[in-house]
Amino acid sequence: MQTAIFIARRAAHSVVVLLGLSVVIFVISRILPGDPARIAAGARAPDWVVENLREQMHLNDPLPVQYVFWLGDAVQGNFGLSLVTRRNVAQDIREFFPATFELALYAGVIMAVLGIGLGAIAARHKDSWIDNLMRVISYLGVVTPSFVWAIIFLLIFGFTLGWLPTLGRLSEGVPTPPRITGLYTVDALLTGRVDVFWDALKHIVSPALALAMGSMAQQARITRAAMADNLAKDYIAAMRALGVPERLVMNKFLLKPSLIPTVSILGLDFAATMSNAFLVELIFNWPGISRYGINAMLRKDLNAIAAVILVLGVVFIVANILVDMAVAALDPRIRLSAARGE
Amino acid sequence: MRKLFPVLLILALALVLGACAQQPSPAQPAQEPAAGVPAEQPAEQVAAPAGVRVLRASFAWPTNIDPAMGSDFSSATALANLYDTLVFPNPDGSVKPWLAESWESSDDGLTWTFHLRSGVKFHDGSDLTASDVVYSMERLRTVGEGFAYLFTDVVESVSAPDDSTVVFNLSQPSGLFLPSLIRLYVLNEDLVRANTKAEGSYGENGDYGQEFLQTNDAGSGPYQVAEFPLEEYLLMERFEDWWGEFAPNAPDQFRMIAATEPATIRTLMSNQELDISDQWQPIESLEALQQIDGVKVAAFSNLTGFYFMLNNQLAPLDDLHCRRAVSYGFDYDTAVSLEWPGTTAMVGPVPKALGGHNPDVMTYPYDPDKAREELAQCQYADSIQDYPIQFVWISEVPDEEKFALLFQANMADIGIPVEIVSMPWLSVVENTSKLETSPHLVSIYVSSDLPEAGPLLKQRYHSSTAATWSQNEWLMDPELDAAIDDSLATVDQAERFAKYRAIQADLAERAPSVFVYDQVEKHAYQSYLDWPAAQGTVIPVMGYNLWAPAIGVNR
Repeated sequence: MQTAIFIARRAAHSVVVLLGLSVVIFVISRILPGDPARIAAGARAPDWVVENLREQMHLNDPLPVQYVFWLGDAVQGNFGLSLVTRRNVAQDIREFFPATFELALYAGVIMAVLGIGLGAIAARHKDSWIDNLMRVISYLGVVTPSFVWAIIFLLIFGFTLGWLPTLGRLSEGVPTPPRITGLYTVDALLTGRVDVFWDALKHIVSPALALAMGSMAQQARITRAAMADNLAKDYIAAMRALGVPERLVMNKFLLKPSLIPTVSILGLDFAATMSNAFLVELIFNWPGISRYGINAMLRKDLNAIAAVILVLGVVFIVANILVDMAVAALDPRIRLSAARGE
Repeated sequence: MRKLFPVLLILALALVLGACAQQPSPAQPAQEPAAGVPAEQPAEQVAAPAGVRVLRASFAWPTNIDPAMGSDFSSATALANLYDTLVFPNPDGSVKPWLAESWESSDDGLTWTFHLRSGVKFHDGSDLTASDVVYSMERLRTVGEGFAYLFTDVVESVSAPDDSTVVFNLSQPSGLFLPSLIRLYVLNEDLVRANTKAEGSYGENGDYGQEFLQTNDAGSGPYQVAEFPLEEYLLMERFEDWWGEFAPNAPDQFRMIAATEPATIRTLMSNQELDISDQWQPIESLEALQQIDGVKVAAFSNLTGFYFMLNNQLAPLDDLHCRRAVSYGFDYDTAVSLEWPGTTAMVGPVPKALGGHNPDVMTYPYDPDKAREELAQCQYADSIQDYPIQFVWISEVPDEEKFALLFQANMADIGIPVEIVSMPWLSVVENTSKLETSPHLVSIYVSSDLPEAGPLLKQRYHSSTAATWSQNEWLMDPELDAAIDDSLATVDQAERFAKYRAIQADLAERAPSVFVYDQVEKHAYQSYLDWPAAQGTVIPVMGYNLWAPAIGVNR
C-alpha cells in the first residue's frame, strides 16, 4: 500500500516534469535554424510541394497552436512522420529503442556487478597495493571516453583475438527471434532458441563493456569511499567487539548502507547510457535509438528529435523512481520517514 | 558479495563456453511465425543456406532507395541494382540499349520515341510496359529530388501510345537527354499505386508511395530488396527471372553495410566479413588494409573533382583578385602527394576524363609571389585581416582536414587569415542552401552524373543549382547560364564539346573555385573477387562499378 501511494505520488510529479520537458523540446525544435518543410522536401523540390508540407505540419499556425496539435498527437503515441525515413516516428522508435535498452541493460549489469565488486575489494584491502591498483584502473576508466574503449575492444576481441563479432546485433544468417520484448537475448531464451541467444550475447558483450567502463570505474570509487567511511563508524567497531564474523560485518552491515550512493548513481548512469551510446552504436553498427537520435539532430528531423528526447526523458524519470524505491528498500530511515509523510 | 561471486563465476564460464560453442546452424529456411505472434511483426530474417554467394560492401549512409529521391553514392548503387533503365552506360561513356531495344528522334530533336523489349518482369511477376515508364518519369519530375534535375527543364511530356512504345516530348533539344536516361529508374506503377497513402504532399497522388519505397523496391532489376533495417544494412537478393545476364559467379545476395569507421572496416576485411570497402577510408587505413593477406586496393578515375568552393558573393572572395591570390597561393603538388598514387591536379573547372574537357585553360600553378601580387590588387588588401576565410571541411571525410591545414598554412604565407571548421555533411547541405548561411569555402568532392563536362558545369555553376550542396559559388550569372543551357541543348557532340571548352576557358579566368585535383576512387577489396573495375573496366557513372551482376565472388 505504501509502495502504491509512493508510486502514484511520483507518477503525478512525473507528468508535470514531462509536460515541462515537452514545452522545452517543442520550443527548441521550432527555433532551430532551417525550414523543416524545405529540409524534408529537399533542396530541388518544387515550391508547391514545400507549401503542402508546411500546411500538413501546421507550420503556418502560431507556435502555441502548433504545440497543442503536437502535444495532442504525442499523447496518442503519434509523433508524426520522420522527415527522413517518411515513416511514423513511433514505428522508428519501436524498432530502435529495444536495441539500446538491451545494450544499456547489459552495460548496467556490468557496471553494477564489476563496479560494486571492485569497490568492495578495494575497501576491504584499503590502502594496500590492491587498493592502489583499483584506483589506477578507476582513473583510467573514468578519463577514457566510451568510444575509445569501443575501438580498443573491437580491435582486441574482434581483430586480434577474433573471439567476438564486430558488427550489429546478430551474425549474418542467424534468424531474428520473434518479437516479444524486442531484446534479442531475452526473446531468444523465451522462444527456446539457445543458439540465437549465444549469438546475440556475443554481439552485445563488446559494446556493453565499452559503455560500462566509465561508470563502472566511478561506481568502484564511490562504493569504496562509502565503505571506507562506514568502516570508521562506531557500529562496526561494536559488531566486531560483539564477535560477529568479519565476513558478515563486511557483506551485510557494511555493504548495504554503502550501496545507497552507488545505487543512486547507477540509476542515473543507466539512463545516461541510453542517450550517450551513439558513438559506440556507430562503431559497432548497433541500430539503436541513440544513433537514430543523433542522425535526426544532424538532419533536422524535428519530429524524430522531439520523440527521442521525450522517450529518453521518460527513461530518466522511471530510472529515478526505481532508484528512489531501491534506496528506500536499502535504508529503513528513508522508508519510515516516507511512511510518516515527512 | 559472497553470494554474487559464484554467480559471476558461472557467468564468466558461460561466456567462455559460449564463445567456443558451435555457430548457430544457419541452414534453416525462413521460419513460420510462432503461433500467437501478432500479424504486424516484420518477417523473420531469411537465413542464407550454405553455398550462397554473398557480396558485402560498406558505404556511407543514409541510403535512399526511392528512385525519385536517392542521388548519392550508396543510393545510386542500390538503385542501379534494384531497377532497370531504358539505356545502360558503357565504359567509354556512351550508352547501349537496355529496356529500350531501339529509339529514334525527330529532326528537330524535340520528340524521342523508344521501343521497349518484351518479356521484362517486375519483381512481383507483373509485366513491364510503357505506362510504367511514363509513370516513373512523371513521378520523378513531381517529387523533384534525386536525379530529377536532369529532366525538369528538358522533358515537357511523356506518353505511351502502346504497351511497348514510349514517346518523350522535350521543351528544347538536348544532347544529354539520351545519356540522362540512365537515371530514369522504371517503377512498377501498379505496385506503387497500391501502396500509396492517400495523405501526402502530392495532391491526388498522396505521398506518391514514398513511405513504401523507403524500405521496398518496385523494380525489375537484377536484385530485389530482401531486408532493409534502415540504419544497419540493405540486403538484396538475386531476382532469378531477370531478363539480363549474370556473370558466372555473380552473387546471390548483395549486402550493403552502413559502416565507414576505419577500425570496424579493418576488422571486417581481415575476417573476410567484408568484400569491398567504401571509398572514404583515410590513406593510413588503406595502407593498413593493403597489408592484410588477400586484400588489395583498387584505384580508378571516377569523374570526381575535388574543389574548394569559394563563395563569390562573400568578402573577400567577391573580388576576382582575392580569388586569384587564393588560387595561386595554394600548393597543388603537396596536395596531390597527400593523396593515393594516380591522383593528378585538376586542369580547369572539370576533371580531365570528362568528354569535352579543355586542357588549354588558364591555370594557377603554385606561386606565392604571384599570389601576393594579386592580393595587392584586391580591394580588401589593406584590411585583409578583418576578413578571415572560413574553411569548412566535411566531418565524415577526415582526410579533408589535411587539405584544410595545408590551405591555412599556404594562406598564412601570403598573409590571408583562415579559420578551419569541421561540419557534418547534412549541416553543409543545409547551410549551402541559402546565401546568408553559405560559408566562404567548402571543400567537396563532386561527381559528374554523366561522362561529359556539361552536366558537371551545370551542377557546379548554373544558377539553378546555387542553393544545393554542389555549388557554394553563387555565381548567379545569366550569361553563363545561357551558355551552359545552350551547350546542353546541342545535339551534335563535336559542337557541344566545343561549347563546353569555351565555358571552361571563361570560368578558369574567373577563378570561382580552387580546382584541386581529379580524384581516384579507392576501394580495398578481397582478391577472390572478379571485379571489372579493379581489372580496368571502369564505368564512369556513379554507382555502376558496384553493379553486382558483373562481379564474380569466388568463394
